[in-house]
Amino acid sequence: MAALTSFDRRRVNGPEESFTPVFDLEDSPPSTKPGKRVGRQPTDTRSIFLQPGLISQANGSAYIETERTKIACAVYGPRQSKNTSYSEQGRLNVEVKFTPFSCTRRRAPIRDAEDRSLAVAIHQALLSSIRLELLPKSTIDIFLMIIEADGIEGCVASGAIAASTALAVAGIEMLGLVTSCTACITGDEIWLDPTEEEARTSNGTLVLSCMPALGTVTSVWQNGKMETSQAITSMEACEERCTEIHSVVAQALLEHANKNDDTSNLS
Amino acid sequence: MSPCSQGGGPGGMALPSTAINIASTSSLSSTQNEDLKAAIFQRLHPRVYLERFLAENVRPDGRLEEEWRDIDINVGSISTANGSALIRMGKTTIVCGVKAEIAEPELDHPNEGFFVPNIDLPAICSSKFKPGPPSEEAQILSERLNDVLVGSSMLPLSSLCIHPGKSVWVLYVDATCINYDGNAFDAAVLAMVSALRDTLLPQAAYDEITGRTICSPPTSKSKPGVGLQLDESRLPIGLSFGLFGGKHVIADPTSFEEPLLDTSISVVIDGRGSFLPLIKSASGFSRSTKEDMEVDSSQQKHATTTNQDDALLKCIALAKTRHQVVRECVYTVGDSS
Repeated sequence: MAALTSFDRRRVNGPEESFTPVFDLEDSPPSTKPGKRVGRQPTDTRSIFLQPGLISQANGSAYIETERTKIACAVYGPRQSKNTSYSEQGRLNVEVKFTPFSCTRRRAPIRDAEDRSLAVAIHQALLSSIRLELLPKSTIDIFLMIIEADGIEGCVASGAIAASTALAVAGIEMLGLVTSCTACITGDEIWLDPTEEEARTSNGTLVLSCMPALGTVTSVWQNGKMETSQAITSMEACEERCTEIHSVVAQALLEHANKNDDTSNLS
Repeated sequence: MSPCSQGGGPGGMALPSTAINIASTSSLSSTQNEDLKAAIFQRLHPRVYLERFLAENVRPDGRLEEEWRDIDINVGSISTANGSALIRMGKTTIVCGVKAEIAEPELDHPNEGFFVPNIDLPAICSSKFKPGPPSEEAQILSERLNDVLVGSSMLPLSSLCIHPGKSVWVLYVDATCINYDGNAFDAAVLAMVSALRDTLLPQAAYDEITGRTICSPPTSKSKPGVGLQLDESRLPIGLSFGLFGGKHVIADPTSFEEPLLDTSISVVIDGRGSFLPLIKSASGFSRSTKEDMEVDSSQQKHATTTNQDDALLKCIALAKTRHQVVRECVYTVGDSS
């Protein structure tokens, strides 16, 4: 069975089966002790690099990098909906793709469940911010390419920020910019913006997306176990960070718009 | 009078600037209005638009016919890959990552590893491509890249052997296009070669008793990763050209120019300056040959007109000159990192 499913005549094929290398654990340095965060304070987030408008073929695009997480996002549209019945409202279509080399294990180029759950999470985060009622019969396509992943929660948060930035570059009407932040519960502490390693060793994780300009939450995605009080405290902490991220996004968009003005004035 | 209706035939107007001037005088003369009208003209009559630029010996992006776009290479930025490279060729952007896995060798080649190059042209890179399985274009490109990289014999497959008959390395070389602005072939060859030059394999040992292959971790100081045994003199470089209107040879075509070309020619040269498979495709005519340059060009004579044959020789001459520049570009990146 495996041989049948792994062969794909649309691609250059390798051997029927191959395995991720197994590492000799004796040689590796001892893994970090749980309970104490290494390198960062519990409320510290990683710095964000955000570059709007890198993909010239798209209507709007953004590239985001938060240390190891690297995501490119492009917005195509609003364009005519094809193969769908008439709809009064515009449709929002989010597709997420991992590059085969984005994770520790190689991801074979077949769509799996993780792509879709990520796409749904980002779709939810953005949906209520876009004025789809202004775009009847049209579709907005948002494509995200995860070049390197450092935890699925981080991908949702960075992906939502990149997608909202790309929508703004594309000039699509929104009620506000969406920003997103993650938190995890380790022991009794709340750690913001966890890495893959930290999220794995935690009790529970939470991704909060909101529109800081309006003070409204657009989506909360919670996994694992945490007490209600912990969930509320981490949501408050995330919301505070989202306001800071909002100014980063606004600054990046402003610089992008100014740069484009300069070049069009010169030509 | 509207410029669009006049520009219907190829002989309508002579210069690209004329089209823009007439467009602007019709109403408002702001820069934005001119830009918009030029863009509309470009969309409606792409062929005439390009012809008028070429009549002035310049291309829509400001390059000369035989001018190439700048290349920017960045290696080793992806920590989850064994080796990686990001290439920007003008606006065309390709990321390539190498992932090494372990497999059992094939029975008839017990000490040869596997080398699996693929390219993906996802929907993110251009509105030309749709989401879903690889498009026809991506399939053709992957096949070509496989031919070029395997055909160049730059990497002896026997160097990927860990234990004969039991355990070998599989190198998955995956390139993804992030922004498609034409000439993905050249960019993909560069990205793949640069990523392979950056690749480090962990030191591996096959345990006869347990039948498992154990690797030393990449962080290990006593047994650091080792680079691939690449034959530097055989690293291929792709150089693509387009033929337009029977007489213009365009180097490094953009995504706007590509669909308008009569013929596209890709010359592949390796590190020693010798030629590898040459790929030429025209409307309804496509072929790739594996002979050397002399045989190749003499064969083309039968199939094409003399005019195109001259163009072919011109492409080869231009490719030779450009090859030096690109080669230096690739080598300096690898050495500085």
